[in-house]
Amino acid sequence: MFTLRLIFILLLMIKIVVSQSIFNAYGLGLSRTSYHTSVNGAGSIGLVPTFHPGVSMDNPATWPGLKFTYISGSFSNQSNGMKNSEITNQAAGFNKIQFVVPIRDRFGFGISVKPINNHNSFFSTDTVSFDFGGKNLLSNKEFRSGGGIMSGSFSISLPLNKSMGVGISVNKLFGSSRDEQSLVLNSTYYRLFNIRSYSGSTFNLDFAGRLYVDEKVIILAFARVGMTNKPVSGTLYKFDFYEDTNNNYSYDSDDYPANVDVDTISIKNIYAPNSFSFGFNVGFKNNLNLFSEFQLWNDEATNANYASIYNDQIGGKTHIGGGVVRFGDMGARDWQDQITFRSGLYQDKYVLRHTGKMLIENGLSMGIGFKFAATGNQIDFSYRYGSRSIRSSQKELFQEFTIGVSLGDIWFLRRRAKQ
Amino acid sequence: MNKTLIKLATGLYLLCLLIISSCEEAAIPIEKDNTPVTIDTVSFPVIKTTSYQIPPVLGNAEHLYFGEKDGFKYLYNLIRFDSTDVSNIYSFDHYNDSLIVADSLKLSMRLSLDSIDQNAEFQLRYFPNGGDSVFNETSTNYLNFDRNTASSVISTAVMMVDSIDTVNTKVTLNFMMDTSIINVIKDTSIINFNQSFLVELKTEGSSEFKFHSSEKVTGDPPELIAYFRQFLSDSVVQDTSYHTYSSIQDVSIIEPPAITSLDSSSLAISLAKGLRSLVMVDMEGWKLPQKGIISSAELIYISSDSDTLTGYSVTSYPLKIEGDYSQFKSFETDPYMVDVNFNSSSSVIENILKINYRKISTEFGRGKLTNYGFKIQPSNNNDPFKTVLFHDLSSSDSYPVMRVIYVHP
Repeated sequence: MFTLRLIFILLLMIKIVVSQSIFNAYGLGLSRTSYHTSVNGAGSIGLVPTFHPGVSMDNPATWPGLKFTYISGSFSNQSNGMKNSEITNQAAGFNKIQFVVPIRDRFGFGISVKPINNHNSFFSTDTVSFDFGGKNLLSNKEFRSGGGIMSGSFSISLPLNKSMGVGISVNKLFGSSRDEQSLVLNSTYYRLFNIRSYSGSTFNLDFAGRLYVDEKVIILAFARVGMTNKPVSGTLYKFDFYEDTNNNYSYDSDDYPANVDVDTISIKNIYAPNSFSFGFNVGFKNNLNLFSEFQLWNDEATNANYASIYNDQIGGKTHIGGGVVRFGDMGARDWQDQITFRSGLYQDKYVLRHTGKMLIENGLSMGIGFKFAATGNQIDFSYRYGSRSIRSSQKELFQEFTIGVSLGDIWFLRRRAKQ
Repeated sequence: MNKTLIKLATGLYLLCLLIISSCEEAAIPIEKDNTPVTIDTVSFPVIKTTSYQIPPVLGNAEHLYFGEKDGFKYLYNLIRFDSTDVSNIYSFDHYNDSLIVADSLKLSMRLSLDSIDQNAEFQLRYFPNGGDSVFNETSTNYLNFDRNTASSVISTAVMMVDSIDTVNTKVTLNFMMDTSIINVIKDTSIINFNQSFLVELKTEGSSEFKFHSSEKVTGDPPELIAYFRQFLSDSVVQDTSYHTYSSIQDVSIIEPPAITSLDSSSLAISLAKGLRSLVMVDMEGWKLPQKGIISSAELIYISSDSDTLTGYSVTSYPLKIEGDYSQFKSFETDPYMVDVNFNSSSSVIENILKINYRKISTEFGRGKLTNYGFKIQPSNNNDPFKTVLFHDLSSSDSYPVMRVIYVHP
């Protein structure tokens, strides 16, 4: 009970805010590489075990290794700031809500909801002054956006043989986003809204296999192929500019003009991610694991730029990373030995589709996990620090603190025969 | 049981966290290069201007004028009263009741001054053969109205001083009418009788008299008061009572003085002279970008008066037909139809008039309407006898120009 109270206190301490990154304004924004807190803590992309020995909560192929059914939620608080600016924004929201059921050490299934990408951004430009026919005009611009694509997933785990398994995930992509583009002219706002909806589906095929085992070391291999089943299509609602005369952020009868037209445009094939990933994990007898991962990700959409603030979008990504995980031993006498430690380094290289510019993200992660109660309840914390930049003048520093709570129960598991 | 409750509470709390996620507002400064939304400016030249004259119509003035001043001849005034009284109950048909005896009518007007400097005798006519309508205060003028349609004089009056209270006084002009006039007005053979009167000076004079009109907001408009007695039985009759009928239309018919050379060579506007002007702005070929919005489209006029002018209000409309800019002309009726949906008004501030035409300019910029130019005319709340002159194209540095500021994606 003490631990549960602790969970509540920690959750209450989370500051609930939403922040913005300048890179969320490129096309559909940055797509996340990890979702579960345990995965975040290791800087992983979710292939290799980080939650429990042999299990990654982001890799369905590993779920038969779970000893209990879990309902799990991960929440993160992000902080973004430009290196050349003192302004820092914070963000919070859920990374993933998940329900995973292992069945008799061989099968498993699960459902989850998670945000694929993030449109949150809020920018402003410097105020400029100019003269027009003897009239002094002061103007600057402001841009805001929010929302993004969500994924609702159903996954199953199937055994290939005693040492290999596969996971199949079907992901329904949905959601909406909006952006507001404003020009401030002598303190009067001229606003334009765009609203977008998203609908599509993808699927993932995960593989997990034990390559080598002896008394001292175990080598695991993982792979994932992500394919688009139905490219994301959507409806774009483009509103005309209006003068927000009373500056209340919404269009009303006091504003000009009296009527605002909206163009409704249906667009197909705006997001079609394909990816290939693989990773290796070397586990040692003392529960220490070393891992490395590599991912190639590409957006094969044919309709580029769904009216984002910047006229460009992320076209591809390469991820390389590695780290160390030491799983805790629930039976250890010292509490320190019951804690799972994780740490990792990674680099993501994003390529912008139109300009070909490269956005490089370097990150360092660390995290801990603590199991409690007989059903394997686990609370995880992670911290990630890194930078993103296209050029030196646009370097963004970010931090992310994530907390995850996984509550276990016994479903479909082998039970001891009664004596 | 407790464990289940705790898990449920935890789940609900997580759900709440998801729902109540909110925003922190701190804008990240970025460079404006390669960002959408642009502000643009463009100046359009005025290529043609002219002024013209129509017969003046003072139906919306706050006063009714008698006499003569500065060359303006106030010929007579036309007043129409409501068909029901101020309580909106009693029409003139009420006096056809056999138990009602209408004794007299009084037409009362209030002078704009509280004392009489110079008195004069006024006379009253009405329109027994005018049917249901005699005049229209927004169009009747000295050229299109035949005063001979009025009856002979039915009453005369001079101004009198009345007490409002122990300190204040007012000056009124009261015409008394006998039952013969009442009998005509209450006659139901004419549906909606005109209830109109013509008031004039008995003899022409050089003085000016101003009375409150129905447009004067805090004034006393002309009133028609019907005095009557009501029989409660064959032998019992109430004391004399009255019903009051307010003016619903009134207009001074004036004849303007001759046009001066300044009037005809400038952009001139005047209510009492009937002066209006046309301005043609060359916006040919300009397109407002899609989704764009015009912040302002100001046509700037500069007054050519030597005295500083402030507060004079001007109304402008886009023309619906081509204007004739060849020379100053006079018309019996205004030939230039306008689109009243796109009217713009503004006041002169220190000799500069800026009229914002952004609504109609948006239509021009989107190619929905054709630019035939703009008409400018005085607003009705000005001194009707003030003539305002603006520089036209002949001015070397004060000619009118349109400046447009617009924002687009």
